[in-house]
Amino acid sequence: MVQQLKEVDVVVIGVGMVGSILAKELAAAGYKVVGLERGNTRFTVPEFQSPGIHDELRFDVRKALMQDNTREPVTFRNTSSQTGLPIRRWESFLPGTGLGGSMVHWNGQTYRFQANDFELATRTRERYGQGFLDPDITIQDWGVTYDELEPHYDRFEYLLGTSGKAGNLKGQIQPGGDPHESPRSREYPTPPQKEHYSGALFRKAANSLGYHPFPQPSSNLSQPYTNPEGLKMNTCVFCGFCERYACEHYAKSTPQTFILPVLLANPNFELRTGCQVQRINLDSTKQRATDVTYIDNAGREFEQPASLVITCLFAINNIRMLLLSGIGKPYDPATGKGVVGRNYAYQTMSTVASFFDEDVIVNPFMASGASGTLINDFAGDNFDHSGLGFIGGAFIGAVNTNGRPIQYHPTPPGTPAWGKGWKNAVVKHYNHTIMFSLHGSSVSQRQNYADLDPTYKDAWSQPLLRITFDFPKNDLKMAEYVTARGVEIGKAMGAKQVAGTPRKAPYTTQQYQTTHNTGGTVMGNDPSTSVVNRYLQSWDVPNVFVIGASAYPQNASWNPTGTLGALTYWVADALKNEYLKNPGRLVSP
Amino acid sequence: MNYVLFLLLGAGVAAAATPPPEAAACQACHGAHGEGMVGGDKPRLAGQSAHYLDKQLQDFASGARDNAIMSAIARSLNNQTRSKLAAYYAALPVPAALAVPTSLEHTTATAAQAGRGHQLAIEGAEGKRVQACNNCHGPEGSGVALSAPALAGQLAAYLAAQLKSFQQGSRKNDAGSLMRSVASQLDEADITAVASYYASIPSSH
Repeated sequence: MVQQLKEVDVVVIGVGMVGSILAKELAAAGYKVVGLERGNTRFTVPEFQSPGIHDELRFDVRKALMQDNTREPVTFRNTSSQTGLPIRRWESFLPGTGLGGSMVHWNGQTYRFQANDFELATRTRERYGQGFLDPDITIQDWGVTYDELEPHYDRFEYLLGTSGKAGNLKGQIQPGGDPHESPRSREYPTPPQKEHYSGALFRKAANSLGYHPFPQPSSNLSQPYTNPEGLKMNTCVFCGFCERYACEHYAKSTPQTFILPVLLANPNFELRTGCQVQRINLDSTKQRATDVTYIDNAGREFEQPASLVITCLFAINNIRMLLLSGIGKPYDPATGKGVVGRNYAYQTMSTVASFFDEDVIVNPFMASGASGTLINDFAGDNFDHSGLGFIGGAFIGAVNTNGRPIQYHPTPPGTPAWGKGWKNAVVKHYNHTIMFSLHGSSVSQRQNYADLDPTYKDAWSQPLLRITFDFPKNDLKMAEYVTARGVEIGKAMGAKQVAGTPRKAPYTTQQYQTTHNTGGTVMGNDPSTSVVNRYLQSWDVPNVFVIGASAYPQNASWNPTGTLGALTYWVADALKNEYLKNPGRLVSP
Repeated sequence: MNYVLFLLLGAGVAAAATPPPEAAACQACHGAHGEGMVGGDKPRLAGQSAHYLDKQLQDFASGARDNAIMSAIARSLNNQTRSKLAAYYAALPVPAALAVPTSLEHTTATAAQAGRGHQLAIEGAEGKRVQACNNCHGPEGSGVALSAPALAGQLAAYLAAQLKSFQQGSRKNDAGSLMRSVASQLDEADITAVASYYASIPSSH
């Protein structure tokens, strides 16, 4: 029997980064908010404490913090002509679950996108002409500009206490920062983390080549910080267990450290965990959401009515929630019509490994998730693409995030894959190798999309999401180009051997790349090519907002979290100042 | 029995290492075998990491750690002698017999205090945003050679005094202000509890 619950003002689906920030804003503004989280409640103490949290087998190999793909996997195929199969073991990307969401296991790399990224289609046409792009590419403008988001980026960084060095303060280039960044209104809240030795060598080499190295913006804090919510965070100790783990020190910015204690203390907010939302229900006009159906851990089914429904799930789960709810027209790659699932994109990751003699001692285990040194000289549109045959780029950096024993053992090409030769090579190179991350952009194209799988279902008998994706030619060319630049830097560092590995097709789900899945519920100004308007409000069902990296029309050269934080505050303002005072469409279609 | 053990271990120390002549200045307060001033707040040095002891001597000498007596002594030593003393005390075994008086201090703590101390050590306190001490100080406070000193078997009065110094900001030679951050979240009862807890653990050295 379905239990009907009492109506509330707002239901937030997913209590991760976006959900906890929005819920806090709306609860503080006096609205009754219910947060539905499918996973468990968890806090720094006791759940994230040592030594249990440093269990590499449990967290790194077996992915203990991730979405349970025995109950709720995703199916995948490279092309529409193939049959999608469920991903039964997460590797390529790692969607989290539980209170605090995927941010609990993030690395803390906290970038802004550049002004150019938000108007990518327009600016690419302007700079390189009409016929520059492959006709399959479906990049588009975001419908929001950098200048509009700047105050929200700022607010988000001050919430997190991000450690970094400004490169452009109100148009004035700052020594030591990234000169390519778009103007920021003030300095980072805390100074950069200490530079790793690998970063120092990278900095020297990059300078010698005329590039502009800068410290990676990190939300693993360089010093104690009290954020505007009154919550105090600690200094990161470089323990080397960031990505895939939770932080035991209150030093990595996650909802647990920067907002949840304030949210949970507000009587206007109610957290319900163990709630698997099945769908958002619509009235007979299909233009208004009435309630949300969820099943709790005891198998009981509930309907929670609300005036406003905000879906704040991990990108791919936002897409699925809309498809399961019949909100927005599903995308059809054959016709190019429809919007939900369209413009699914990712991140094009390449690597360069520089192998040194034994007198260069790197100590890779001593790391935070974001204490690298990098350049943006080959990111985005920071270099001339004329004649190159691609758009986009990558940041290139010595981003040493860990040296954990089970998973980190760099060896040069030609090393045996197992046995004594491999073991000897691991011993020889472990402490004398510098790895670069080449963090590349990802264009959207018409063949890449997400829809509901026709065959496979989850533990609640709901169709799984199916991803159809392969790397666009544009991005493979970009990967070749930036990897060659990375190899040059490795050589300039004086490495004995430098191995560049540009990303190649086909895309595989069996190798870790990044958890930067984007698109599928894209934002924009044209309802025929976007799911939500510039305030992330559904064009079709205006009392539904969809917030996540699923809103990105394509992915830029940087980690997506900073931009998602900015969008979250952008939407919070639109909700508080406009929508909730006068519910309705914030933009006319 | 304890007396016999003490003698045997004392003999072992003498055989293992002859104190450097400069150790005479240490022994007055820290004991003949680096056991500390039981019942006072002069810490046990025996078995502490050499890196930690060396850094403390440097910090006393530079003024980064403030203590009138220790600063004067540390300043009278050169770098080489500081390192030699640090290595000497690090190599000294903790006389097992001396674990008895320290554990006696624990008996002055109530059961509730002992439980609270244990909880802070292994788990922390979410309400205060304090992480487990053992995250950095190692299992049972056994210390992590290059980064965090051993706490196990340390004198409770010394531990409590140091937490208060960090809390008041009079001690500030902690990397990243980590100890100042933690101590600022603790109250008097927490400090007594956690200091007593570590004092009650026999050193694993």
